[in-house]
This record gives sequence, C-alpha cells and structure tokens, in this order.
Amino acid sequence: MPDKLYDVAIIGCGPAGLQAAIHAASKKSKVIVFGKARKSGLYKAHIANYCCYEKVVLGKEILEVGRKQAETFDAIFLEEDIVRTRKENDLFSLNTESGENFTSRTLILSMGVARNKLRVKGEKELVGRGVSYCVDCDANFYRGLEVAVVGNESAAATGAMTLLSFAKTVYLICRKLMVTDMLYKDLRSSRVKVIEDTWVKEIIGTNEVEGVFLKNGETVKVDGIFVELGAKGALELAANLGVIFDAESFSFIETNKKQETNIPGLYAAGDISGKPWQIAKAVGEGCVAGINASEYAKKLASS
Amino acid sequence: MGQGVLDIDDNNFESEILKADKPALLDFWAPWCGPCKAIAPVMDELQETYGDSIIFARCNVDNSPNAPAQYGIRAIPTIILFQNGNVVDQVVGAVPKSHIEGLVKKVL
Repeated sequence: MPDKLYDVAIIGCGPAGLQAAIHAASKKSKVIVFGKARKSGLYKAHIANYCCYEKVVLGKEILEVGRKQAETFDAIFLEEDIVRTRKENDLFSLNTESGENFTSRTLILSMGVARNKLRVKGEKELVGRGVSYCVDCDANFYRGLEVAVVGNESAAATGAMTLLSFAKTVYLICRKLMVTDMLYKDLRSSRVKVIEDTWVKEIIGTNEVEGVFLKNGETVKVDGIFVELGAKGALELAANLGVIFDAESFSFIETNKKQETNIPGLYAAGDISGKPWQIAKAVGEGCVAGINASEYAKKLASS
Repeated sequence: MGQGVLDIDDNNFESEILKADKPALLDFWAPWCGPCKAIAPVMDELQETYGDSIIFARCNVDNSPNAPAQYGIRAIPTIILFQNGNVVDQVVGAVPKSHIEGLVKKVL
C-alpha cells in the first residue's frame, strides 16, 4: 500500500476544487488539494452575482474561507502544481513540481482554463516551425539543437529541465520565477540558462524559428521556442489519461451530470468542463464531483 | 465507409500516401503526446463521414522518423493534407474538429 494514498485528489483550488474538497472530506474521504489560490480566476475578481452574497465580495476572501472550511473537514492542501498524471491499475498517480509522488483512488480536475499563447509577432506564423506549446510532445525534435522556454511557472521550469535531455542548450526566459523552493533549486543547479527580468517581444524567423527578440533588447539565437505559460493545463495533464475533450475547441473536458469523464474515477468540474465561467456553476459542479468521487473511492476501497 | 484510419510508417508512406489515387489526410502523432490522443477520436469521426473520398491515416513519429523529417515536422500533432503527392495544406496542434473538416473540404 503506498504511503501517500488518498481517496480523492483534486487539482486546482478555485471554487470548484474547494467545494469538491468540502463535500468529499465531509464524507470522511481522505482528500488532498493541489494548486495555488492566486492562480484561480476568482482570486482577483470582485463578485457581485453570486447567490446569497448581497454585497460585492473579493474572490480572494471567498477562496481563503473555502480553504479553511475544507481544512476543518481534514482536507490537506499542497501549494504545488501537478506536472504529470498517470493511471496505473485503478489508481491515479500524480507528480508535483517538487518531484513528490501521490496516489489517489479518484481524481477531480478543477484547474480551470488559462491562456497559453504569447500573442507576439512571429508566434502564429511559426507554429510547428519551431514554436511549440508542448515540451513533452516535441522535445524529441530538438535533439542537439538550441531552444528557449518562455514562462514563469512550473510548466516552464520543468519543461526546461526535460529539454536538457534532448537539446544542446536550453534557455529559460522569464519575468520572475514563481515555483516551489525545491524546483527553483533543481533548476538553478541544472544546465538551464535562466534569463530573468525580461520577456519575449518577437519570435524571429522566415520559414522556421531563428531566434527570439527580448524586451531587454537582447536577441537569443534558438532553433525552437516552447511557450509554457503557467501550470500544465487540461490537455497536458488529462489527454494522456485518455479523456475526451470537446471536439470544437479541445479546451473543455466532456462530463456527464455526475461530473464523470469517460475515464472511471476521473471527474472534472468548473471552468474546465465548459462555459459559463461563473463561480456559481463551479461551486455546483464541485459539489457533485466531490460527492460522487467520494462514493466511488469508498466502493473501490472495499472491493 | 472506408477502411478505418490507416497506419502509415516509413515503408508504406510513399505507396499509401504520396502515390495514392485519392487525397490523404495524414496525422503525425506519438504515444507520449497528450494532444495527439485528444484529436485521435476526431480523426476517427471524420473518417466515418468522409472515408469514401479521402484516405485518413496516422504516422507514429517515434517508429517512423523519415516521413516527418522529410516534411520538417517539429511539433505534433501535425496533420498534413496530401493530393497527388503534394502538400495541399497542414495544421499543427489540437485544432478544432471544424478546422480539420475545413481541410477535408478543400479536396472534396
């Protein structure tokens, strides 16, 4: 029996994840929640359309209260991004940005949706010609070449380290690194060349990427640039589990009314399962996912 | 109905795609690639609809490096539409179904 086995693991600590945690933990399931509150779309929002809150409330406050509520039911919170998921036999295996491994009987995906494009000149034109959005997919095409990763968080930092096994030189371009101390230490002691306090202004190249022009005036010659903003999203974390996405945008995970995906034990709730992107919908779906995941985990544990 | 999505490798790429008597939509993918898995069902669906007029195929870049290298592929999934041995158009990444269908309609 693994020592870090949970009944319900939740990725994302926005309103969907928190409500799921509250319901699952109150049903005595062993619950762990991964993610960083400031990453929730709610964090900086002012909420005026949420039932029973008459005055405008700050999203940040709602998130803090929700976490405390979940913690009173013994849910555990870990302020780390998940960088890899796998399903082995009946259990989900999760790797954090610090390299720890956790196992859970069920998994609720509630990490929301985030933009992944840089929106700079040259980006759209050179997609597939040196511009990539997926280190895990495309690292192999850059054996012996020079590459840059752009991003401030776990996806960029872990992506840059993955690329070290393939590329000759790896640059990490970031404004300011926002990763766990452990990941920061690993990155700094690696061969990744970190270029801080700047950002990509333009991707240069005619038929393929030749380099990046930075806001600090510097030009870095590279054969490829990997755009890895924020934490890993649904496509990176869930698609390898075989989850079905909406065919029209590949942004949303398909669920039924029980918030179940097509993979047994895997649930999705909140923005990640489609519009409207509202706190009320997220909370409702989180509740449903939390209750159903908890029941599923109990059945699995007793089988 | 066609014959399902055809598996292409470096050995049959020329005969099945370049020298095919019909246009061919070839999806370059790999088993470790999440977005590739996400679009696989879309290719299956489109094959069911348009499989009579167009060849739907996939090439695992892990096992067959030559074909992708020949077309300068540096990101997967990349879907290339071939007709008479030439590239008509291509898309990169997990693009919407309607976008892939748009490619198909170019050669119908």
